[in-house]
Amino acid sequence: MSIRRPFGYEPLLTKEDIKNAAPKKKKQRANDWRQTLRRIWHIVDEQRFLLIIVLVMVVVSSALSLLGPFLIGKMIDTFVKVGTTDGMMVWVISLVAIYAVLSLSLFFQNYWMIGIAQQTIYRMRTALFSHFQKLPITFFDKRQHGELMSRATNDIEAVNATLNTAFIQVFSSIITLTGTVVVMLYLSPLLTLLTMVIIPTMFYGMRWVTRRTGKLFKAQQQAVGALNGMIEETISGQRIVKAFSQEERMQQQFEQRSKALRRASFWAQSYSGYIPKIMNVLNNFSFTIVAGVGGLLAVKGYITVGVIVIFTEYARQFTRPLNDLANQFNTVLSAIAGAERVFAIMDEPAEKDHEGAQHDLELQGAVAFDNVCFSYEKDAAIPTLQHITFTVAPGETVALVGATGAGKTTIMQLLARFYDVDEGAVTFDGKNVKEIARSTLRSQLAFVLQDPFLFEATVADNIRYGRLSATRDEIIAAAQKANAHDFIQALPKGYDTVLTADGSEISQGQKQLLSIARALLADPKILLLDEATSSIDTITEMKIQEALEYLMQGRTSFVIAHRLNTVRNADTIFVMQKGQLIEAGPQQQLIEQGGVYATMLANSKQ
Amino acid sequence: MKTVFAYAKPYKWFAGIAIALMLFELFVELIQPLIMAKIIDEGVMVKDVSTIYEWALILLVLTIVTFIAGVVNSYFSAHVAQSFAFDLRSALFAKIQSFTMATYIKYPTSALITRLTNDVGNVQQVLFMLLRIMLRAPLAIIGSFIMAFYVNAKLAAILLISAPLLAIFLFVMVTKGIQLFSKVQKSLDGVNRKLQENLQAIRLVKAYMRGEYETKRFAEIASNLKIDSMKAMRTMEYIQPILLFVMNVSMLGIIWFGASFVGAGDMKLGEAVAVINYTMRITMIFSMFVFIIILFARAKASAERMEEVLVVNEGVEYSGDNTHVINGDIGFHDVSFRYSETTPYVLQDVSFTVKAGEKLAILGATGSGKSTLLQLLLRFYEPTKGKITLANQDIATLDITALRQMIGYVPQQSILFSGSIEENILWGQEHASTDQAVAAAKQAQIHESITAFDDGYATVVGQKGVNLSGGQKQRLSIARALVRQAPILILDDSTSALDVKTEQALWQALEAQRATMFVVTQKIQTAKGADKIAVLEEGRLVALGTHDTLLQTNELYQQIAASQQEVAR
Repeated sequence: MSIRRPFGYEPLLTKEDIKNAAPKKKKQRANDWRQTLRRIWHIVDEQRFLLIIVLVMVVVSSALSLLGPFLIGKMIDTFVKVGTTDGMMVWVISLVAIYAVLSLSLFFQNYWMIGIAQQTIYRMRTALFSHFQKLPITFFDKRQHGELMSRATNDIEAVNATLNTAFIQVFSSIITLTGTVVVMLYLSPLLTLLTMVIIPTMFYGMRWVTRRTGKLFKAQQQAVGALNGMIEETISGQRIVKAFSQEERMQQQFEQRSKALRRASFWAQSYSGYIPKIMNVLNNFSFTIVAGVGGLLAVKGYITVGVIVIFTEYARQFTRPLNDLANQFNTVLSAIAGAERVFAIMDEPAEKDHEGAQHDLELQGAVAFDNVCFSYEKDAAIPTLQHITFTVAPGETVALVGATGAGKTTIMQLLARFYDVDEGAVTFDGKNVKEIARSTLRSQLAFVLQDPFLFEATVADNIRYGRLSATRDEIIAAAQKANAHDFIQALPKGYDTVLTADGSEISQGQKQLLSIARALLADPKILLLDEATSSIDTITEMKIQEALEYLMQGRTSFVIAHRLNTVRNADTIFVMQKGQLIEAGPQQQLIEQGGVYATMLANSKQ
Repeated sequence: MKTVFAYAKPYKWFAGIAIALMLFELFVELIQPLIMAKIIDEGVMVKDVSTIYEWALILLVLTIVTFIAGVVNSYFSAHVAQSFAFDLRSALFAKIQSFTMATYIKYPTSALITRLTNDVGNVQQVLFMLLRIMLRAPLAIIGSFIMAFYVNAKLAAILLISAPLLAIFLFVMVTKGIQLFSKVQKSLDGVNRKLQENLQAIRLVKAYMRGEYETKRFAEIASNLKIDSMKAMRTMEYIQPILLFVMNVSMLGIIWFGASFVGAGDMKLGEAVAVINYTMRITMIFSMFVFIIILFARAKASAERMEEVLVVNEGVEYSGDNTHVINGDIGFHDVSFRYSETTPYVLQDVSFTVKAGEKLAILGATGSGKSTLLQLLLRFYEPTKGKITLANQDIATLDITALRQMIGYVPQQSILFSGSIEENILWGQEHASTDQAVAAAKQAQIHESITAFDDGYATVVGQKGVNLSGGQKQRLSIARALVRQAPILILDDSTSALDVKTEQALWQALEAQRATMFVVTQKIQTAKGADKIAVLEEGRLVALGTHDTLLQTNELYQQIAASQQEVAR
């Protein structure tokens, strides 16, 4: 076993890492830390009043815990030495009172501090979640869900662990430290000075450790995130894992990531384990100094033996708060690593409306694409959409047809402004979409997505998502129109049945019916139906056709469907091919043209 | 906690070394006062400077040795704790992988994620602390007790009154703490669940502008976590003040009786002072103990949650031991199924046979049980009644892996994993070559789309395939099933997003596979090419036959056909 690779753990830090953490970049890093701490402080500070009370309590309890032993010493001298209990009652009663106050102040300082800490954590978590809602879709496209979840749980937990204790510990340590130093100086300035020599050593020791741990804690939190990402994906896709009997391979992949976490944690834990040990050795060292030098001084008659004995006690009392401080420093480091990851997300630019974007705008429903080009990846060789131009009048129904990957869904996504165009413009009522506030646009638009998503909530609540203010009757009416009412009634608790996360108790087609009901309830100006009926059988589809047609009346609608009978009633059919709009017009006209659409139709009739 | 801590067993020797090192540190700490006494008695008192140097040097050496011991302990403890955590995570993950689909529904993904990360972390932390300092506290308390009694049993007897009281108090608090902390972990599950749900639904949330609504709902759940955490932690905060108070008052009692005993000449002053000293020590260590107790209660709550998963038995996939799985006719014999005892039957008395190499199309209304039927064949669920046979063997007697090896499955909702397109295809068959992946992609009619991407087969698929179109995802998951070259193919309405032309080409390519095919579809056009068509209605098999016969005999089939013929007016 080599020392560089204890138990076979590969080193995580290179010499450069450690060097980089030092002088040159130190300022930068210290700045980062200060900024992170300041941001946390900013949230804590909202409860300044409570914080001040906690501080007062800390002062009271620290003072009383110094006073207690002092009075006990006095009692021993006055009563035990003499062997009498005469007049002791007064002492006992006052000490009981002191102890009661001590216990109460201890209780309340912690009680309120827990409140402050939890409130802070709560604020951070909600702020992070709220920021998630504002981030653009592109942000989510690139990241694993589990990794993002880890930030809101594991990383914030790291902050949590620190906030609860660090604040009180730091302050009580400082107070105790000051008190002790005063007494020590009073007893023997020389020995006090000698005890202090450990401080620079401690400083260097701490710096040695923190140069390593800062990075290691970050690596650890990253490893947790990566592991979380993998777990989330695998467990969500369990059906496929099972069907393909890939359990063993998933286990291997899991263990690979788990091993990375083990490695990072091993080093973080080992190095941070140095801190108490360094404190311990310094503690012992100061003991040695006091005993050795004190002994020599006593021989020379400068001090008494009693002073040595008391002094060793005080020297211990002196290093204890230092020890606590050092330990706190360690957890603070891991908290900073966690907080940095949280703030990194909060610093991601949110979807922002252009300046002067209109908020109070009632859309009429005219939609146009003017020479729009778009690709998901920058510098893609073949853009997803190429020079798309069209206009749609208010109330018109447009059907988008074409091979998969032709760009139909992309058009829908641009209409909902999930993405911004690379070139050209999308306009509503002649207004560039960028000049309309997102909230204004989306509140007048309903989107039935390709993959219907249901929340873990009751059926009624899932439909209500379309319009939060809808009444029960309106919900039922929407479900009836979407032809979902019958199957909902057959569920164990009808509209109050709680759907589970993977919604396995209802079929895919039924999920689509529910999301159509949701859109019906939303009553939008513009309707986007992306394969809204793909998993619904054709008989049911016919039944809801009427509802859909009713839904499309007086609204501008965009419909993607592969079954051509779904599209035949559209006012205009757009035929897409490889990112281009190649044909447009009513069905009859396209048939007469004898182009791509006519061929498609002929194929399906075979 | 036993089940969980059993995972530390392989590292007991490392743990032993860590504990030995820790005890050495404790030992040095305890003999320091003795050496001090030597310096005073043999050095200062007799003015012997060389003795002082001698003992001071010994102290110095001991200090350095202790430091090394401490640092080495830190490595050993970290190794034990991290390896333990690693093994525990692996065991949990393996167990979760062995769950049946029915058990999955009981444990939401988020709850499993919390167990695998947060809960493991809590227990790991305690183990680490245990090896480093925790054991010291109880040892020091017991040691101080013994010393106090050794010095003067009569006076120390006062501790016998307060100690049992405190022991009971601590026990009650720990029990309470375990409950409260398990509630905290549960709330954490809730936070995780909401997060996961929200991330999955992010497009929907944005489309309906429900960001603020979602934040409000999340705030509620996060607030539950806040309240539960506060309650658990605050309850734990009762321990220290009460403990301190009881111990401090006991000390006053000891001083009182000490004074009177000394006055009566029953004991020496030194003895009284020593007992008082030991009591102070016990008080101090006790207050450190509180911190340990909180960690312990938290870890115990986490351990129980993990055990819940680790000991699940009935929810684990039952596998027959017959690995000799051969291809052959597939038969459903009076199969009925319901997801749970409280829900209605999804399938009822379904019987049919499909000969090897035949293609069966399954049609029916939304919710008629089509997908469920396929899932039974994959043994995601077991039939409630009846049995399913493959080559005349009940599939329940077959080795589950061997059975699934025979099947290429394309789910209704495409599930893809983060990674490249090639990795996603090869996911179906680990040992397949790149050429085979390309062949499968060609068969699935996706090859051209892939090569049109800038990075071709190396194109990275985002979380759950966000950067692909619906049809591309479907074809990719078809390719993934085809690369297995399995004799049975199951397609659960997996071509819904494909246009007619692509789909026709796909079916032609699939015919060449000569696999037994189960195809759920909505399209008559697709069903037409099947050897047999099964029509399901509310969980019952109402008709079975070829397109032509059904068109003549079955009313429902006629209706379905009519609904699709309309386009051809």
